[in-house]
Amino acid sequence: MIRKMVHRMLVFMSRRMISCDEASYLVSYRSENRLGIKMWWQLNMHLLTCHLCRKYAHQIAQLNSVVDQYRESCSHETCEHHLPEETSAKMQQVISKELSAK
Amino acid sequence: MSEEKLILEPQWWVERYGDYLFNYAIVRVNDQEKAEDLVQETFLAGLKAKDNFQGKSSERTWLISILKRKIIDTYRKQYASKETSMGTYEQDISDGDFYRDEDPFKGHWLEGKGPHSHSLMPDGELEQKELMKIIQWCISHLPPNLASAFVMKMIDEAESDEVCKELGITPSNLWVMLHRARLKMRQCIENNWLK
Repeated sequence: MIRKMVHRMLVFMSRRMISCDEASYLVSYRSENRLGIKMWWQLNMHLLTCHLCRKYAHQIAQLNSVVDQYRESCSHETCEHHLPEETSAKMQQVISKELSAK
Repeated sequence: MSEEKLILEPQWWVERYGDYLFNYAIVRVNDQEKAEDLVQETFLAGLKAKDNFQGKSSERTWLISILKRKIIDTYRKQYASKETSMGTYEQDISDGDFYRDEDPFKGHWLEGKGPHSHSLMPDGELEQKELMKIIQWCISHLPPNLASAFVMKMIDEAESDEVCKELGITPSNLWVMLHRARLKMRQCIENNWLK
């Protein structure tokens, strides 16, 4: 009875093993979406057995948070980019011209 | 306070908002020249639409909203041009260069294409500034259509259906593109640390 149940569980678990390409897609997919129960199961079964994809998942989480930092870093005054002097002078000229033309 | 209507003062725009708009643009288009052009266009469009300004939002917010529109147009062009002229779309979308193509390990990581280290970047060793530079470099080296999708979603934090609408793609297209972009970004960042 127990053996039968274990067997059934194993069959169920391995019914559809996914490979790294699918797993890494799901890792990215879950950054924006909720995984359905089936996909969640497939992904986690894969991650259990695949150390490369575990690393990958960890790195993608890092990537997402670093990109968040990147966005924030430039939405404050602290961002280091400056409009080149030349360009801003030119813009000022254009604007002044437009204004005086009216 | 609220009764006081905000007015536009275009003569101060460059001085007050030039750098701000430029920064806003440069993280989103990753190209200095393009960012300058966008700021210029924004100012001109702002001058033209001056009379439509209702004074409900601040000058800066108003200018940003114009710039946003312009940036989305750039993404669209970027996306459209690459898809047709270079035919790289299929290539960018296919996973062939990351995973094994043949059995018995079809779909597994190709050697050297999967992650090496546990962490994407060495902790605390590198300065934040350097990291941000690498991010910028890597985004600017993404294939343009992937970059459009990635930046709209990750930097602009646009809703998925909005991105799909602007780029004229289906949601599943978008997930595949984001996946591709992340594959490439991850690889690019890791390679940059290893160097």
